[in-house]
Amino acid sequence: MIQMEKNIVSFTNNTVTKELPIQIKVENVNIFYGDNHAVKDVNLPIHEKSITALIGPSGCGKSTFLRTINRMNDLIPSARCEGTIGYKDVNILNPKIDVVQLRKEIGMVFQQPNPFPKSISENIQLPLRFAGVRSKKILKEATEDCLKQVGLWDEVKDRLDRSATSLSGGQQQRLCIARALALKPDVILLDEPTSALDPVSSSKIEELLLELKNSYTIIIVTHNMQQAARIADYTAFFYQGELIEFGQTRTLFTNPEKQSTSDYISGRFG
Amino acid sequence: MNSKMTNRIALSVIIACAAAMAAILVSMLGYILVQGVSSISWHFLTTSASPFLAGGGIKDQLWNSFYVLVITMLLTVPIGVCGGIYLAEYAKPGRLTSFIRTCVEVLASLPSIVVGMFGMLVFVNYFGFKYSVFSGALALTVFNLPVIVRVTEDGFHALSRHQKEGGLALGLTHWHTIKTILLPAAFPSILTGIILSAGRVFGESAALLFTAGLSTPDLDFGNWNPASPNSPLNLFRSAETLSVHIWSVNTGGIMPDVQTIANGSAAVLVICVLLFNLFARMLGKVINQKFSGK
Repeated sequence: MIQMEKNIVSFTNNTVTKELPIQIKVENVNIFYGDNHAVKDVNLPIHEKSITALIGPSGCGKSTFLRTINRMNDLIPSARCEGTIGYKDVNILNPKIDVVQLRKEIGMVFQQPNPFPKSISENIQLPLRFAGVRSKKILKEATEDCLKQVGLWDEVKDRLDRSATSLSGGQQQRLCIARALALKPDVILLDEPTSALDPVSSSKIEELLLELKNSYTIIIVTHNMQQAARIADYTAFFYQGELIEFGQTRTLFTNPEKQSTSDYISGRFG
Repeated sequence: MNSKMTNRIALSVIIACAAAMAAILVSMLGYILVQGVSSISWHFLTTSASPFLAGGGIKDQLWNSFYVLVITMLLTVPIGVCGGIYLAEYAKPGRLTSFIRTCVEVLASLPSIVVGMFGMLVFVNYFGFKYSVFSGALALTVFNLPVIVRVTEDGFHALSRHQKEGGLALGLTHWHTIKTILLPAAFPSILTGIILSAGRVFGESAALLFTAGLSTPDLDFGNWNPASPNSPLNLFRSAETLSVHIWSVNTGGIMPDVQTIANGSAAVLVICVLLFNLFARMLGKVINQKFSGK
């Protein structure tokens, strides 16, 4: 039975033929919430222009880890990080770096679609305006370009001035991805981007991510192992705050080294 | 007694309470309006009060009420909204923050007569603003400020965390996130709160007795130079408001139609406050619709 489930998983999209260069290097990262040691001594390479999936049961620290990569955990007063996350010769965890600039280069999409209660075009133009873009022409072109990249342009081009909250959940999530693309980031972090969506919208997002990985480095947290198997080039399995296993998705799913990885992907727990 | 019975009893008690509340409101409003509406006329609204003779109106008092209200709001809204943003967004949990929050709560629960006495000692006497529109507005600021702070803070807390994270994750600074995303999203609830508090300010009397005064100079509604002593816009002239007028006419009025004037003024006051409430609701609804999409 367990064997059969394994066979259902297909690996059509994610055969890594050659090792891609490393864009982010995570070394000895520990994260604490007050006294709670949430992430323990994680070492992990993130390869350029690929999809890396972080999987594991609830509370395993995968989201916490993801939110550390663009310092969103700064919002939580009790959170504390140790170790280094190397990106472009800087340590992201260094308290002195410009967090605002970092977040322009490492964008993020959340579990709950969170478009701003403004018009569709305003959602995309807001970050650009803050970044100093004034020309109406450039703003318009960027809006069209971003919406085309996420396949939303044809659906919304006649109602760009309508409120973004009038879109469906799946459209809202694609708008949020488009918004993150507007600043032309290097890396996009996605925190369970499809878990609040219906299956059709989810598969649209998956297809979109496969397309986007040609231009961006993508790190995705997912509860859905099939999703990781379908789209990720690399997969990291977290359990109880530790990184248990990391490798190419196909290897990790078909031939895991650790017993707990094998137990988790075969559905024995989590 | 079984649980079904208990359920029924609880329901009837709750309905009875709600009905009692509605009955009190309706009967009071009805009484005031029935007594007063007959004395409201164009003449009543547009004639100055007469100290001895019958047939006086409430023109100056009505104007003063609105003028004091506007000045109060000009003073309280900017400070209150900024204070609320500080408490909701910047204040870190700790001693200082809880001290500030306690201050806001105490300020909100001060009896208005005490605020009036304080206003007289500090604004009227110490700063020498005399009995004036400005002193009155400052006294009202003392007790309206905490309301605005609270309304703003609540408006921000009611927003989902996702909005703020969305802004920050796009490389916006904290202040820009507040300015372009959070404040516009919280705006409808803040505005509703402001208008409701305006109703309270409009009807306030105790805090104004010793600060805005019990008299009004002969206002010349053709003279809009704020520096001139009988201009309606003069900030440093005494200004009896409508609710203060009701009190003073009732306690010491010597004109023959005291009762009519008091009833009419009360009705006008109540109608204005009602209008504020209705306006707040309508505006809140319209803005909400505008934000949440057509």
